[in-house]
Amino acid sequence: MIRRFTKSHLTALSTASIHALAMLAASIVFAGSISIATLYADDIRAVSNAPAAPATIYFATDVVPTLTRLGCNGGGCHGKATGQNGFRLSLLGYEPDVDYDAIVKEARGRRISHAVPRQSLLLLKATAQVPHGGGKRLDVDSPEHRVLHDWIAQGAAPPRANDPTLVRITITPDKFTFTRPNQSLALRVIGHYSNNVIRDITGTAVYQSNEPDIADIGENGVILSKDQSGLFAVMVRHGEQMAVFHGVVLNPPGMEPTADANPPSANPPSANTFLPVTFIDRLLIEHWKKMGIKPSALISDAEFLRRLSLDIRGTLPTTEELDRYVDDRATDKRLKVIDRMLESAEHASFFALKWADILRNRGAGYATSKQRQGTALFTGWIRDSIDRNLPYDQFATAILTASGSQEENPPTVWYRTVRTTQDYIESVAQAFLGVRIQCAQCHHHPAERWSQDDYYGLAAAFARVGRKGGFADAEVPTNETIYLASEGQLIHPRTGHAVPPRPLGGAAFALQSYDDPRRALARWMTAPDNPYFARTMANRTWAHFLGRGIVHPIDDFRSTNPPVIPELLDALAADFIAQRYDTRHLIRTICNSSVYSLSSIPNASNGSDQQSFARFYPKRLPAEVLLDAISDVLESPSRFSNVAGEFPAGTRAIELPDEAVPSQFLDVFGRPARNSACECERVSAPALGQTLALVSSNDIQQKLTTPNGYVDKLASAGPEYRTHVRSIFQRVFARPPRDSELQTAVVFLESQTDAKEGYRSLLWALLATNEFLFNH
Amino acid sequence: MFSPTPDRIRMTARWSRRSFLEVGTALLGPMSLGPISLGLSDLLSTRSRAADPDTANSESPRNAASSKRKQKSIIVFWTHGGLSQQDTYDMKPDAPAEFRGPYQAIQTSVPDILLGERFPRQAKVMDKLSIVRSVHHQNGIHAPSAHWMQTGYFGPTLARNAPQKPSLGSVIARAKKVQGDLMPPYVTIPKAEAFGYQGSVYLGAAYNPFELNTDPNAGDFTVPNLSLPKGLAAASVEDRARLLKEFDTLRRDIDRSGSLEGLDGFKRQALELVTGPEVREAFDLAKEPPALRDRYGRHMYGQAALLARRLVEAGSACVTINTGYWDHHDNIEPGLEQHLPPLDAAIATLVEDLDTRGMLQDVVIYCAGEFGRTPLINGHAGRDHWANCFSVLLGGGGLAGGRIVGASEPKGGNVVERPVSPQDLLATIYHALDIPLDTHYPDATGRPVSIVGAGRPLRELS
Repeated sequence: MIRRFTKSHLTALSTASIHALAMLAASIVFAGSISIATLYADDIRAVSNAPAAPATIYFATDVVPTLTRLGCNGGGCHGKATGQNGFRLSLLGYEPDVDYDAIVKEARGRRISHAVPRQSLLLLKATAQVPHGGGKRLDVDSPEHRVLHDWIAQGAAPPRANDPTLVRITITPDKFTFTRPNQSLALRVIGHYSNNVIRDITGTAVYQSNEPDIADIGENGVILSKDQSGLFAVMVRHGEQMAVFHGVVLNPPGMEPTADANPPSANPPSANTFLPVTFIDRLLIEHWKKMGIKPSALISDAEFLRRLSLDIRGTLPTTEELDRYVDDRATDKRLKVIDRMLESAEHASFFALKWADILRNRGAGYATSKQRQGTALFTGWIRDSIDRNLPYDQFATAILTASGSQEENPPTVWYRTVRTTQDYIESVAQAFLGVRIQCAQCHHHPAERWSQDDYYGLAAAFARVGRKGGFADAEVPTNETIYLASEGQLIHPRTGHAVPPRPLGGAAFALQSYDDPRRALARWMTAPDNPYFARTMANRTWAHFLGRGIVHPIDDFRSTNPPVIPELLDALAADFIAQRYDTRHLIRTICNSSVYSLSSIPNASNGSDQQSFARFYPKRLPAEVLLDAISDVLESPSRFSNVAGEFPAGTRAIELPDEAVPSQFLDVFGRPARNSACECERVSAPALGQTLALVSSNDIQQKLTTPNGYVDKLASAGPEYRTHVRSIFQRVFARPPRDSELQTAVVFLESQTDAKEGYRSLLWALLATNEFLFNH
Repeated sequence: MFSPTPDRIRMTARWSRRSFLEVGTALLGPMSLGPISLGLSDLLSTRSRAADPDTANSESPRNAASSKRKQKSIIVFWTHGGLSQQDTYDMKPDAPAEFRGPYQAIQTSVPDILLGERFPRQAKVMDKLSIVRSVHHQNGIHAPSAHWMQTGYFGPTLARNAPQKPSLGSVIARAKKVQGDLMPPYVTIPKAEAFGYQGSVYLGAAYNPFELNTDPNAGDFTVPNLSLPKGLAAASVEDRARLLKEFDTLRRDIDRSGSLEGLDGFKRQALELVTGPEVREAFDLAKEPPALRDRYGRHMYGQAALLARRLVEAGSACVTINTGYWDHHDNIEPGLEQHLPPLDAAIATLVEDLDTRGMLQDVVIYCAGEFGRTPLINGHAGRDHWANCFSVLLGGGGLAGGRIVGASEPKGGNVVERPVSPQDLLATIYHALDIPLDTHYPDATGRPVSIVGAGRPLRELS
């Protein structure tokens, strides 16, 4: 059960904790001179010299945020569309009018008692004085209780247009560096109201940390640092206003990494020292200095080539490639090998696979046979675009503005899966702009400024997408012709008015009736000053190679989820734009950095760090890459069935046009259903089905027993076991065996009466190791 | 004032809501405090497994045979395509022939409950099963309806669109999964169906069903993934396992995501599964007495039900049996003749068998499809899709038997009493399985999604 968002405000805040908070606030951080008019928090008044006059409580300004903090209007409670036990509030309090009616008018008015405010059902329920399905949310006479009570006592006035509103909130302090675990810091949150009142709202705000493993925050506004070092942000929200606290937890000096209980390291750290090669390295050196951590050792040439080849080509390096690279004495050999791999057919296929996932080039449906032609055309187009290094702005524009038939213009196939307002939003905002605004379909984003206007304004750019023809039997239209319809509007569900197309957070596009609104959207997106487009791609590409985004998750850019190293993201994006969206240049820059060749083995200072890239974060091989790698090692290509017959012999898993090509192996290892534009749909989580596929599937056994495969070749090559074991290790791990490994393998092979079965067992065991299953 | 006694608790919706609440309250005992207090989530979210009398029962000596089970579980009979309620669980003997259909109604062990004549064996155990006759939703197309009934959410609007929410089996697997338990928590027999809506979606690959991929009634029945592939000897697997241990030495401290550690655990588990006896035994129907196998029926349904019992006994939390395709638009009678007798044998024998073993209180039995079928026989002697009002079967797992919830119009057609939604059914099932109804799981965007939405458990069955 994960409810990050509501968890922090579920338990009622006790008066005692307010006391504690006030003491902390006074002793640790707050020494300011702001004059604060508290309305109800007497305990805070003690430290703030506030006047004691009781003040007016306003419904939208005071009551609703209190309900939000108490969790009353959360999606799991009264805030869900159907309400809870007959009492429905607007989700997270975005419609105060609705909430007022629910509280004051519905249920025959019994929720409010004007005569005896303390006996109002609203209060009796929330304090569990009468049984309440949601349990006890607050204490009698707690600050929240007083807000609700005083509002009722003052006549339970409805929200009015001229009520004072919260204009902004400020946090003191708004940044802080923690030097050790278990260090606490009390935030003080000040609300600035439209009637010039300034008030301490620490006790009624809502808090959320984006990295609770680094530092978490209680509902009393006190941050506590944890064992893990790194950067974090805390969102502070009150009603519709939001502010962000930025924190750092430094690596505690002298902290030792966890003892290594495992047998001798597969990758002994080399003595190489870290030298900056690119601007990436220089920025990270500064960052590490600030954080008090040191980078891990650099990896060897062979380790580098395996890592690079798997990341760029989705393919293992051959023994010949390894030898050639290791023996190469040229000083620019790294750049040269990066370029060679970027020009390979496998690179185009592997990145086309990645983009076909993101672009939801989906083959499953009522009739894959009718869809396959389109998915093959689209995947082929993506592959060609990557192969000729089509600049990324042109790539995105070609897809978003596609018109015509799939034969004339394969990117129109994008419109086959992406067809609803929700699809457009997800596939444009999340995939190209890195923002998740799906929640704004129904309510304001709870952790960002996006509103329904942003949501429908963006989707309106697609309101004139026309579709005609195509195979529409059985409800899955395929092979449609996409065109610009002469009219088409998107109606805002709440206002009932047509929404003009507009960019996120901007004014409506200036459009004539003959303008394609999609073009306007694409122009806005790909303009050099667009704040999202280049940064999202830079972040996505970084995450592909380094295992984690600078903004993480990669499609969740928000002020409340800031980049860990903003300068790095800025620099990568600026460079990408300056190079006219040259994707290969971006990859080259990242792969050529020293950061990319850091070992995954932690040192004393970076073991607990998970976001500063001071060591390499290991990645599972994606399903298709793993299957191809096993095929390559065993010299036993997979066979994939097509809608009629088979794909040509030698077709690699990374070359398949869509996810509907049957393969149980690929499915269990996390091949996504292309149901989402989020890369997160490709899961790398381990599952039993995966290891069962390795242990007992026919797929693997067939590859091990394929005639004239690697096993047969080894078995017929005579009893030169030591030589064979060396080449096997090179092929599987891109390294020679250690002495003990060589010994174990040779002794085992010598003991076998059936040489083939012996090689099968040895190869199987190596292919099932983590060293093989991970890019590390 | 109505005072509830056990033999009189047959709910009908003629009761006012208030009197129902009071009965419910009385039945629930100390957990609720008064007529207006029916604090549903009180009851549902705080009810701990340890405090559950049903679970406590399973530890009693009477249930020695099932002592291996640590928790409650469910066996689902999924009638893919849509079962005709008016030929089975909601007979209309007084309706005109074109509504009544080809079958006669028969008496059951519970007075006033009639069943279709092809369900004679369920009729004998009707006191242990209940029927919900007022299930409805708003879609008449197979795939969206299957998604709705399997997940509780209307999602895809087109046939075979991608699933959007996790199926009940995946939710149960995730909620009930015991770490380190060798048994797959969620199994589908013979394979996953319902247009691909029996999967885990955002819950993750670990909660996808373990698909049997073979007919348990086949003479040479073995489970593909649990048996060694042809040509691989057990001794070789032992060699492989031993070598793997030697070579699998990548440092564990390079990964903090849990991926490496998790994979290590699953490797051990997979090797144990194919080499060790425990799990393979759970799948071994040859261990059952032939007479019992006959009683379940020598067909896929019967042997699947028996296998399902063995699996939940060994620790699986949800076993879904996909009972072929029930989409009888034409000539419904010959179609049903193929399906009804084996389904009857499978369900009835399962009830008897679980009861004999003292397991009936621990295992929910659920029979449902994506919708029912039209009350009026069509021009092709068939019945078409009908989601306005249809029936499902529920029993076991502590749910009351011998009850009817809701009612349809005299000729079928629409709900006249107690509309029940797909989410209500899921809430009833999760509640019976002790899964807190306020459970939320985050979707791909991190948004917490409720496992039941607005669903409420059917109090009539508690």
